[in-house]
Amino acid sequence: MTVISSSDRLYRAIQGRRNRGLGGLYLVVAAFVVLYAILFPGILSMGGFAKFTQNWFPLALVAMAQALMMLTGGISLAIGPLVSLGAVIAATTMGGSLGVVGGVAAVALTGLAIGAVTGVIVAHLRLPAIIVTLAGSFIVTGVALILLPRPGGFIPDWLSDALAGHTPTAFLLLGLILLMWKAFLATPLGLGIYAAGDNPVGAFRSGIPVERTKVVAFAVSGLLACLAGLFVAAQTGSGDPIIGTPFTLNSIAAAVLGGVGFLGGKGTMRGAICGSLLLSVMINVMFFLGFPPVAQYVAQGLIIVSAVAVPELIHAWRAKR
Amino acid sequence: MTDAKPLLEARQVFRGFFGNPVLKGVDIALYPGRVHALLGENGAGKSTLINLLSGALQPDNGEIVIDGQPAGRYSPASARAAGIAVVQQELSLTANLSIAENIGLGAFPRRFGLIDYATLHRGVRDVCAMVGLTEPLDMPVADLSLGRRQTVEIAKALYRKPRVLILDEPTSSLSAHEAGVLADLMVTLRDQGTALLYISHRLNEVQALCSHVTVLKDGKVTGNQSLSGIDGEGLVRLMVGRETGDLFPPRSAAQPTATRIMVEGFSAGAVKEISFSGRAGEIVGIGGLVGQGQEDLLLGLYGAIPAKATKAEISDRQDLPRHVQAANAAGIVYVPADRKHEGLVLPHSIASNIILPSLGRLARHGLRDRSAESGLIADLARQLTIKGDVGRPVQALSGGNQQKVALAKWLPINPSILLLNDPTRGVDIETKREIYLMLRNFATEGRLVIIASSDTPELVHLCDRVVVLREGRVAAELEADAISEEAIVGAAMGVEQAGAAA
Repeated sequence: MTVISSSDRLYRAIQGRRNRGLGGLYLVVAAFVVLYAILFPGILSMGGFAKFTQNWFPLALVAMAQALMMLTGGISLAIGPLVSLGAVIAATTMGGSLGVVGGVAAVALTGLAIGAVTGVIVAHLRLPAIIVTLAGSFIVTGVALILLPRPGGFIPDWLSDALAGHTPTAFLLLGLILLMWKAFLATPLGLGIYAAGDNPVGAFRSGIPVERTKVVAFAVSGLLACLAGLFVAAQTGSGDPIIGTPFTLNSIAAAVLGGVGFLGGKGTMRGAICGSLLLSVMINVMFFLGFPPVAQYVAQGLIIVSAVAVPELIHAWRAKR
Repeated sequence: MTDAKPLLEARQVFRGFFGNPVLKGVDIALYPGRVHALLGENGAGKSTLINLLSGALQPDNGEIVIDGQPAGRYSPASARAAGIAVVQQELSLTANLSIAENIGLGAFPRRFGLIDYATLHRGVRDVCAMVGLTEPLDMPVADLSLGRRQTVEIAKALYRKPRVLILDEPTSSLSAHEAGVLADLMVTLRDQGTALLYISHRLNEVQALCSHVTVLKDGKVTGNQSLSGIDGEGLVRLMVGRETGDLFPPRSAAQPTATRIMVEGFSAGAVKEISFSGRAGEIVGIGGLVGQGQEDLLLGLYGAIPAKATKAEISDRQDLPRHVQAANAAGIVYVPADRKHEGLVLPHSIASNIILPSLGRLARHGLRDRSAESGLIADLARQLTIKGDVGRPVQALSGGNQQKVALAKWLPINPSILLLNDPTRGVDIETKREIYLMLRNFATEGRLVIIASSDTPELVHLCDRVVVLREGRVAAELEADAISEEAIVGAAMGVEQAGAAA
């Protein structure tokens, strides 16, 4: 990983401004993490930190996958099924002749391919992403159930230990993925995602290959979702064809908490990651405090609505003064 | 210069849409070091010609010629490669990216596949200095006013170092100061040998900047000549193809009567504690640089944004309207500048757009009364000379006709106060004349017309009184003979002028 022109003032100024816009979110996330650490000091040990980040990691990946889709001006309803499919492919291939390396490659290629096909349909046929991914979610779920009708399959123990054992591998992987995203965003193609999502006609006239940009964004989104599935399979030691279902809505929730807009071109990946961390901490806190599941859902919904409403209210209040 | 070869030409180009011919054999040639004006009413084919020259559309017949060579398969990409840049009326910016990233978009300098921010920074700094863009380069475009965004758009075109620069109504959202900077820039580029094509509805700008003109009328060239020795009247004749009277209707001799609006200590948005008044039968102009509170003044009076005043009298009420419905009930209507987003429902028909504010009033027993509606629609279309089938979607109309629809929809509620925000932006001359006449008639009928405008001649010749805002305060209030372009521009820019006292 080369350092991305980090010596340049302009680049740092742009990044700094993006961080300032997220200042409020950073504060809220920090407050929740501190609260969590006070309630459950176990997180401060190596094992506790590893377990905490392992619970958070797949949500962070799907939040990124969803944020990418939302940046292009779309939304994906197929995130959960892609997680399931990733888990199923990992669990059915790793025991066979492909081995672990082949299994990881199969998962990654599947994610890229499904994402790219979806992207081609959305970008070239100009169909709404929400409809195409709704259809895709049925197909992907069906394929996962055909490959593995009931939970099972095989994940080598050493892989489960390496990814979901007592070391914070997941956290390091997340850092690595974020660095790769930063590098991607520093390419003309990566930055083009913002332009293609916000003002496709203007982007086209500026010389951005709008369709190709969208297809790449969709493919990367599919890749991230399937990799989340691989991790979930390693965590549970097996494949489950419907394990990803809750991730569809949680990925939207995390991206929205992180300030990613629905209309395209608005939001940041660091915001989406923070949103997923916030959601993960909230779910954990409520679980450990013994909230009944029903109350958890209600609380989760209220928090998400306030996350969207509070900045608007602050904005309106500022405008009034 | 006279023996120079044209950089970009269109030769006998034809282009139609759905069997409807728009360009019928048009020639144009852009020479280095010359500012070429393209004039024509809306619908004359100017936009289509620009799209052909920039590769966004292909001609049905005829050819585009670059440096004497036929362009062959011509696309926006090959136009860029040939050094042709267009500043479009519709902005091509991305709101959440920084100024610098927007300027470089599509033409980023790269190092190892990544954007070379250091090189980008240098290049962007240079073009920003040329266009007078002083905002921090890392600022998101979303935080800029419309006029500043237009300036970014111009910088973006310059960043590509064009040999041919096409500017499509670049000044429509610029302030007088920004337009002045652009004019200087065009002179510099011209002297450096750039070929410029300049499209504008403002004839004084065209006459000040351009040396050669091509006039389009109904898809044909009606004039292709040097601009020296032809005056505004002559240009207008070429565009409309007949003798024209004065663009502006005469002021009425009748004295304004009762006070309709009187506010003191009025604040709304950017407007800070001003006094303002208007009487029935008056056209009051609001001028100033872009974004000095003109729109907020109108919106505040209309109850669309929070406003407060120490004393207020509006249409016999002792209070500001709290919300839009209250303003409508008090006979106040507002025609927004951004007619496409705020004034009209574009995909809907002309008929349903003009009937929209009257739906509730015309309903019987909570159901729509179709016959009353169609009677009203026919009546309004006639009154405002909206031509053709009222079932067409509004987005199919030219800018001028869209504006007429945005205005027409309020007439059935018989408003006593009309607030208009830049009603003639991007409107062709013939429609402008119709709109001016309409506004003058409204005033003669005893209504109060308040018009915010960035077009200074409009303020000078149409309005009975002009209030110039600067930084949210009244910089000058001009009446009768004191209204002049110099006084308005001087007050807007904070230059002391004799006789400009309130």
